[in-house]
Amino acid sequence: MRGAAVVVGVGESTYYARGKAPETEFQLACIAIRNAVADAGLQLSDVDGFVSYMDRNEPVRLSAALGTGDLNFTAQTFGGGGNGAGAAVTLADAAVSAGYAECVVAFRSLAQGQFSRYGQAGRMRRASGVAAYTAPYGMLTPAQTTAMQTMRFMHDHGVTQDTLAEVALTSYAHAQRNPRAIRYGTPLTREEYHASRWIAEPFHLYDCCPENDGAAAIVVTTAERARDLARPPVAIVAAAHGLEHRDGVGAFGDAHFPTAHHRHVGRMLWHRAGVRPEEIPVAQFYENFTGPVLMAISEMGFCAPEELNDFVADGGIRWPDGRLPINTAGGNLGEAYIHGFGNVVEAVRQIRGESTCQVPGAELSLSVSGPNYAPGSAVLFGRR
Amino acid sequence: MGVLPPDWALPELSPFNEAWFTSGELAVQRCRSCATLQHPPEEICHACAAMEFEVAVLAPTGTVHSYTVVHYAANAALAASLPYTVVLVSLDDAPHLRVVGNLLGDSPAAIGLRVVADWDERTADDGTRILLPQWRPET
Repeated sequence: MRGAAVVVGVGESTYYARGKAPETEFQLACIAIRNAVADAGLQLSDVDGFVSYMDRNEPVRLSAALGTGDLNFTAQTFGGGGNGAGAAVTLADAAVSAGYAECVVAFRSLAQGQFSRYGQAGRMRRASGVAAYTAPYGMLTPAQTTAMQTMRFMHDHGVTQDTLAEVALTSYAHAQRNPRAIRYGTPLTREEYHASRWIAEPFHLYDCCPENDGAAAIVVTTAERARDLARPPVAIVAAAHGLEHRDGVGAFGDAHFPTAHHRHVGRMLWHRAGVRPEEIPVAQFYENFTGPVLMAISEMGFCAPEELNDFVADGGIRWPDGRLPINTAGGNLGEAYIHGFGNVVEAVRQIRGESTCQVPGAELSLSVSGPNYAPGSAVLFGRR
Repeated sequence: MGVLPPDWALPELSPFNEAWFTSGELAVQRCRSCATLQHPPEEICHACAAMEFEVAVLAPTGTVHSYTVVHYAANAALAASLPYTVVLVSLDDAPHLRVVGNLLGDSPAAIGLRVVADWDERTADDGTRILLPQWRPET
């Protein structure tokens, strides 16, 4: 399977603060897809498949609106929230590698200004299902549930507040070099981080991703088709999504609580790719919140959880000199929160040599999707 | 510490959760075939696939496994309750089972804090009486 499918185009809409997009979420999706297809040197009529995760913008509508070719493949993953980004790429890889489709767009469009805000909850009178065990206690949003997981993780492994801060400061620092980033020109200091208000302990304001409007997309096709196209193809070296037994119980009943759902994903990914974490020169780690980034770094095998404070210290995750620069476009915190699909686009750009925090000669580039919602996912790109 | 409004998000009762939310005891789902405990309750026993369940009443004591102090209102109806503490309690009788609740009283939460269950009596808008499990520091 390795290298059978390749990424030949990337695109995004302008990224906006929540409510500032002049376009609708559907229009944003169309813009990102159009840009990715144009970047590839393809026509919209070449597109024969769509994959996504948790997206409202159905391929049935997109196909009609954009004037694609006949659709041969459409799919979306179950559950996982932002953890579906790598899983969507897995679907595109599977569809193209198996020959179900030849030109599949993987995308995510999210306008929290037009639709509901991830950080808010409706006025709730009754709660059913698993939410009956959490919502009555005011446990409602990702910031709160992820705080519960992170608090225990920090306790178990001696992870410090300053280590959380370093994840946020890294994203904001990298965003200063990326003109697409919403936080471009608005740096963050360690003092501002620690002085910012609590949201849900142990998360300060700057541990939390913003709510944004925007869309991002990639185009996946066969290596053979890629030969005639505009851009150097980027191989999908390996992709993985899944979870461990009894880690989807809900209401913090997971067998491995607290987990980012990336131990199993990491084992699958490294096995399929035939490489080890220490061979990875650059990575994107979905930051819904800072804590899950640290959980995912350790679960993917980059270091033991007890080593995280040292791993991120002294610029360890910062471009250009860190041992593993992460979130090189600014990530969800600094570039934009497009449910993590901006991180996938950035991982592709690192292989193309087009990042605004480019790791010279990067031959492998990892994107790990939204930790702490099951199932987990990740994708490893490489030079063809 | 804040207490949530009495009409905030009461549990919708079902055959699977009725004992837990109305009995005033820690009435945990137990498989009738193999005695496996499940919390939150599930529709099928994950150990033996049976679908017949009974209730096991566990001791109302445990230890705080994790917690968060919430400082922002995800809904305006919760603004007056800030900050409020949500704890995840590992039960003495079944430490692998974890129960969510608010920590009542003014003591700060901490991992490892010993707690005892307490029940908040509520009435839903359709008249249903709910006994919502909550937690207080052990004295």
